[in-house]
Amino acid sequence: MKINTWFGILETDRAGEILESSLLSKDIRELALHSLSLRDSRSNFPPEGFDLKTAALKSGFAESPAEYYSLLHEVTLEAAKLQVSGALTPDQRIIQAVEALDDINETTNALSERLFEWYGGYFPESGLGGEDLALFIAKYGSRENVSSEDPLYSKARNSMGAKLEPADEALLKGFAENVCSLYERRRQIEAYIENSMELVAPNLKLVSGPMLGARLISLAGSLEKLAEFPSSTIQVIGASKALFKHLRARAPSPKHGIIYSHPLINTAPWWVRGKVSRAVASKLSLAARIDFYSGEKNPSLTERLEAKVLQIRTLNPRPPQKRQESGAKPKKRRRK
Amino acid sequence: MPEVKKLSDGIFEVIKDKKHLATKNLDPGKNVYGEKLIPVEGVEYRTWDPRRSKLGAMVLKKFNITLKKDSKVLYLGAASGTTVSHVSDIISEGAVYAVEFAPRSMRDLIGLASRRKNIHPILADAGKPDSYSHLVEPVDIIFQDVAQPNQAEIAARNAIRFLKKDGYLLLSIKARSIDTAANPKEVFKAEMKKLEQAFEPGFEILNAKDLKPYHEDHLGVLAKLK
Ligand SMILES: C[S@@+](CC[C@H](N)C(=O)[O-])C[C@H]1O[C@@H](n2cnc3c(N)ncnc32)[C@H](O)[C@@H]1O
Repeated sequence: MKINTWFGILETDRAGEILESSLLSKDIRELALHSLSLRDSRSNFPPEGFDLKTAALKSGFAESPAEYYSLLHEVTLEAAKLQVSGALTPDQRIIQAVEALDDINETTNALSERLFEWYGGYFPESGLGGEDLALFIAKYGSRENVSSEDPLYSKARNSMGAKLEPADEALLKGFAENVCSLYERRRQIEAYIENSMELVAPNLKLVSGPMLGARLISLAGSLEKLAEFPSSTIQVIGASKALFKHLRARAPSPKHGIIYSHPLINTAPWWVRGKVSRAVASKLSLAARIDFYSGEKNPSLTERLEAKVLQIRTLNPRPPQKRQESGAKPKKRRRK
Repeated sequence: MPEVKKLSDGIFEVIKDKKHLATKNLDPGKNVYGEKLIPVEGVEYRTWDPRRSKLGAMVLKKFNITLKKDSKVLYLGAASGTTVSHVSDIISEGAVYAVEFAPRSMRDLIGLASRRKNIHPILADAGKPDSYSHLVEPVDIIFQDVAQPNQAEIAARNAIRFLKKDGYLLLSIKARSIDTAANPKEVFKAEMKKLEQAFEPGFEILNAKDLKPYHEDHLGVLAKLK
């Protein structure tokens, strides 16, 4: 049986004897961070009545009860300080990650473009861009090195591009490697956000998808604030120019909030988008509240939202008629 | 010279002008919440205000408080540490795991714990003992003062996980946090029933008394696991 403790992970047999232990070093900060990470874990708890102190002594983590308590004291104190300083609440970590992702995206795009232009002089026919191009350059450098199995082999042979001198090749390869690792880092951060969202805001993640949910938390400032917003506010979060940097490439127009990147909204016909976005915003608001106040996952949220959106679309199958076309006197009647 | 009478391990009555409940100050020269420091023959006593502390009131109401100098205590609802500081005095060589979920109170508690080595502060929800099970060893006493509607359930979950077979639960029940309109007597009866029957194995209630005149509409309970 595996057991998580503040000083390490223990493997015990049925009788509770320790078979194996992987202990942390006695670094207070590290122990405190480890302890905090265990708060949200959902398995491998010590069983009822498990004697942590004896286990720490037996596994050799602490040499005496006095040492055990002294370390425990410092670790709980450090962990509590980190928690109240607020820097480490899980939703704040998500916000940091979202901001890091935006920075990385910006840098990656700029450097990718530079690489594209630069290498274009040597192999204009490659047809590659972005990460594919970076991987290609990091692998081969000059197009002369392209192996015969590579689908680009003949294009590389017959290219009209200039010859790549060794000094330039070394430079370009190094550059391309950096770009590759930026793409890698980006995936890492996205995976981190996805995992953290599952722990911190599973319902919001369910309704909005991990990235949109994380951005909503980020723009609101915290999960608590998001949970307190009325759904009409959620509908326009991110509409202001200053905050808009978050979605730059994705949102249709800055007068809408970032929830317009939600698939249920951006695939809806234009004449029901307002209604659909109100429905989505209200479910997002509900999801954020459940996450903040109870944390229990409620899978029926998406089903209910999809049913609601379907209903809106069936009730409004056609765009409203324009006034001029519908005769001389303008109609005041409107479908609610 | 003030007169000192021992009430139980680590708990004293100091008579100076009038009777004071008191503990021996583990952090000499410092008080925590405005209480008096009374030196007697080289020992500094810290007065313990029963009106500010349910546990203090329980001592004066003659509950059998089994704290010893090396006891391990799980304290749920530590707030800023008013009572925790006295527990820390009493169990000078033991450990008190002080659980509190309000960050504001935790700030004060951190200040207190940084001067007292036997206090281990934990910012967590006492309703989710899993979230601190990697930190807390089996304990001799659970003291709980959370003033929450689900306090019986909180006590049960923590006792099952952390209370030694021969350990005790000391609980303060606040009638108004359960039902603001109902008669406190009815509320107390219902809560006791929950403690006895709502989970396996259930608590055996050893003593239950209201905490008047120190606290209105509060019931003190001493129990152990059946
Ligand atoms: C009446 S006060 C405790 C006073 C303290 N026992 C004393 O005498 O110094 C109740 C405390 O319990 C805390 N609390 C309430 N529910 C809690 C929970 N589920 N987990 C942890 N602490 C909780 C509150 O934040 C508050 O600080």
